[in-house]
Amino acid sequence: MAGLATLHPSSKAAARGWSDLTIRNIFIIPTIMFLIIFNVFPLIYSLGYSFTDFRASVNEPVNFIGLANYRELLNDPRIWNNFWVTAKYVMVSVFGQMVIGFGLALLLNRKIPAKGLITTLLMLPMMMSAAVVGLFWRLLYDPSWGPLNYVLGLGNLAWLSDANLALYAVAITDIWMWAPFVMLLSLAGLSAVPQHLYEAAAIDRAGSWYTFFHITLPLVSPLLLIALIFRTMEAFKTFDIAYILSTQPTTELVSIKLYKFAFQEWQTGKSCALAYIVLIMVLAITNIYVKYLNKAKER
Amino acid sequence: MAVVTSSRKKVWNRVAIAAVIVIAIAFLSPLYWIGSTAFKPRSLATTVPPTVFFQPEITPFIKLFTKRVQLTKPVDPAVYAAAPWYEQRIYDGGERILRVGPNIQLSQYPNRFMNSLIVAIISTFIAVSMGTITAYGFSRFKMAGEADWLFFILSTRMLPPIVVAIPMYLMYRVVGLNDSHIGLIILYTAFNLSFSVWLMKGFMDEIPKEYEEAALVDGYTRMQSFFKIVLPEAVTGIAATSVFCFITAWNEYAFALIMTNRRAQTTPPFIPSQVGSGLIDWTVIAAGTLLFIIPVAVFTFMLRNHLLRGVTFGAIRK
Amino acid sequence: MLRRTFLSLTLGTAMALSGAFHAAAQAEELTIFWAEWDPANYLQELANLYTAETGVTITVQTTPWPDFQTKAFAEFNAKGEAFDMVVGDSQWVGAGSTGGHYVDLTDFYAKHKVLDSMAPATVKAYAEYPGNSGKYWSIPTEGDAAGWAYRKDWFEDPMEMEAFKAKYGYDLAVPKDYKQLRDIAEFFYRPDEKKYGIAIYTDNSYDAMLMGIEGAIFSYGGELGDYSTYKVDGILNTPKNAEAVEMYKQLYGFTPPNWGKTFFQEDNQAITENLAAMSLNFFAFFPALANKASNPNADVTGYFANPAGPDGKQHAALGGQGISIVSYSKKQEESMKFLEWFIKDETQKKWAELGGYTCNKAVLESEAFRKATPYNEAFYQTMFMVKDFWAVPEYAELLTQMNNQIYPYIISGEGGSAQAVLDTIAKEWTETFKKYGRGG
Repeated sequence: MAGLATLHPSSKAAARGWSDLTIRNIFIIPTIMFLIIFNVFPLIYSLGYSFTDFRASVNEPVNFIGLANYRELLNDPRIWNNFWVTAKYVMVSVFGQMVIGFGLALLLNRKIPAKGLITTLLMLPMMMSAAVVGLFWRLLYDPSWGPLNYVLGLGNLAWLSDANLALYAVAITDIWMWAPFVMLLSLAGLSAVPQHLYEAAAIDRAGSWYTFFHITLPLVSPLLLIALIFRTMEAFKTFDIAYILSTQPTTELVSIKLYKFAFQEWQTGKSCALAYIVLIMVLAITNIYVKYLNKAKER
Repeated sequence: MAVVTSSRKKVWNRVAIAAVIVIAIAFLSPLYWIGSTAFKPRSLATTVPPTVFFQPEITPFIKLFTKRVQLTKPVDPAVYAAAPWYEQRIYDGGERILRVGPNIQLSQYPNRFMNSLIVAIISTFIAVSMGTITAYGFSRFKMAGEADWLFFILSTRMLPPIVVAIPMYLMYRVVGLNDSHIGLIILYTAFNLSFSVWLMKGFMDEIPKEYEEAALVDGYTRMQSFFKIVLPEAVTGIAATSVFCFITAWNEYAFALIMTNRRAQTTPPFIPSQVGSGLIDWTVIAAGTLLFIIPVAVFTFMLRNHLLRGVTFGAIRK
Repeated sequence: MLRRTFLSLTLGTAMALSGAFHAAAQAEELTIFWAEWDPANYLQELANLYTAETGVTITVQTTPWPDFQTKAFAEFNAKGEAFDMVVGDSQWVGAGSTGGHYVDLTDFYAKHKVLDSMAPATVKAYAEYPGNSGKYWSIPTEGDAAGWAYRKDWFEDPMEMEAFKAKYGYDLAVPKDYKQLRDIAEFFYRPDEKKYGIAIYTDNSYDAMLMGIEGAIFSYGGELGDYSTYKVDGILNTPKNAEAVEMYKQLYGFTPPNWGKTFFQEDNQAITENLAAMSLNFFAFFPALANKASNPNADVTGYFANPAGPDGKQHAALGGQGISIVSYSKKQEESMKFLEWFIKDETQKKWAELGGYTCNKAVLESEAFRKATPYNEAFYQTMFMVKDFWAVPEYAELLTQMNNQIYPYIISGEGGSAQAVLDTIAKEWTETFKKYGRGG
């Protein structure tokens, strides 16, 4: 057994009540068991079927076809287009959310009248279901019956029918919905930065940029990175908003392709293979983030 | 010098407040517009330029709560005159309310709303409780392969729900959990748990160990010190995590759609189904959205001070 | 201690669940699954009459259109018994029958002489699979096809009529063929006045846009392939069909702005919001246009059937659904009884009165039905010239492949020419059929 963190196992305090080991096990193991049960089954199921030509919609014998699904997918330029679209989308939308969310938090991190109310109001977009957000933004963007173009004086700008613009329109909607999430986590991190550090910096006549990069950012970065990790993962999975807003080939995210394989065409085997490719990619990206996160925490 | 700094600071403060106001307006105007649509007559919902001033009406809410159908021929004036006021409003909109025998038929909205409340509250409670203790476990005790276990927990949220849906559905059918509240609660708990553990661990790590150690030396057991020292300090984290988990569970769409039918289906798949036929009735969707956002908004507002308080103990970190 | 807690939790759960099951099994209750729209509500009303007669409760459960296919097949594939009957889309009959999801109704057809009462085109489209096999899987329920709505006041404005005649050399009237349709669309296309020529389907997430293109192809005398031999090359990619696709692309040029993802709601809205002179839609969505409360232009909205192609052939894309019994249902007997009641002439008459689009021959042909609404006459004409998309189990793959090629061509002009686009689709479809071992 690796030594428990703070107390020597033979110390008096550790001997009272349950032992630290028991507590650790009671605290951690149910969660892990629970997640294993509810994730490993779908994972094995999908992995198994990803090597077959299984179609859930018909009663036909299932054949093992080895890596054919993976080969077919990776050789399909359309799938690569899906990945490229997804990459662009994730970058634009997560970047936008981080900048706007963190910026808002910086602005809000001071004495402001009715701060609680303002924060709650700002969080309203993320409290709505993505399907409803998608529906309403489709209406907002429409030049003939939505208010956006009128208010901004954009005339007949066809946000969603323009092949190049549509992806950004989807990203803007996603940013609108999720920047508040980053804002809230950043606020929690910012208010943890002890005031006396700023005071010390002021005494040292540190510039505000210096203060920001050497005091604020390092202390906020763990929570900021958690926000980044979750937003990236979720952005990879974006479905409802994009699907409802636009069906341009230039906005066909990989999750939409996945949905089509799985639920429209019922190419179950192929959809499982694509899901695994996506999973591996997200795992890799998240892994990099987590490394940074751990580094940030060590500082 | 000090005076200069503080006056400069004041100016900065004003600029920041002005910026907050501008951004808040930009963020909130789509919401205002959704909210106001919920009280608009149908014909004013899609006007360009947008209609800002209008006589508000509650017809959209009557529509939301009743099962309606398009009129195919004009309504008999005698029937209209005899109808209660709310039914007249529906007639005015070119629809009629369905009846079972003499009784008007209600929509599924109230039922779905109840289901949403049950599922979201219970699953949030479980996910946050489990997440809190697990985060504490990971934060305070060493464990072989700790980083890997944490990464495993995180990875459970990476698969798109549409992929998990089919195998889960089959599994649920075998166990008999499909179309049940318990089934959805378990799913949402599993779904939120990874987030809950990770976020809570961030907060737990910030709570200095010195306090607990002092308590242990004072004769507390580990459990007592967890409940009496750590939990109160973690309230901020718990509040933030609860808000996020509640929001996720409250709005989940894909699983609710596939896993549940009449008995346990929640509201999110219901609201878009109110689009009406032939023409989208934005007012009803807006009304459904508005009512549906109230519980989350109230919940968040109640916890707002915790959300803003931040991690107070960071101060004594070296 | 922990183990005991777990045990009691599990037991408690199991007991709660078994209790719920008993409650569900007791009541005499049938569930019909359909998409969320007015016809489903009319069906609920009709079913309430059945409840009054027999005491069997019937619930029409609905889900939004975009989720309908997903939800239904998720339930089928898991062999779920949540639905006793489903009012499935016409293309599903292939997957429904070969997948074993639908109960074979061939005997039911023979016993109750369904073929004598229902319009032949509808039985072929909604019930028979494979084509001409004499095997039936559903009862035609909601007949539907694509038609057009137009602004009578715009068409009948003397100034417009004069200007139109001067420009095109013939009278402005309901278009007889696609050429005239195009001319009128071009004529009314005036972005400066916020008036546009035509509203068409462009949503490519499922079958919407293809229904519009299909209508053009069928009227141009083309086919999507040979439905019995699965031959596509040389049938789909003919110069005629390329012309039809080209025509649809031209029509897109006369649509209102941002017309890149439109389906029935947008097309109807183009009429109610004074945006377009003509609008393509399924007949099932026209009640909203005939209703003064939802369409301020109801009195000046007219309807016409899909126009003819250059050779005078006239066809329309089929929509609509038939009701099938789900083979995993535990109440198939009860469901059969309901269907027996449903196909009676009186029931069908009542169905039409409530607002359903009956497929019953006698009712369709009756004067009363054809005069009942401003669009029923056009509907009646259309139902004799409908054609449908492939109904094979892999129809969704065919839809995706066609969407992938055609959408970028119509919207952004990608893909070279209509001919090249159709060639690619023909190639992909042929491969798909080969993959599933069809047509040898």
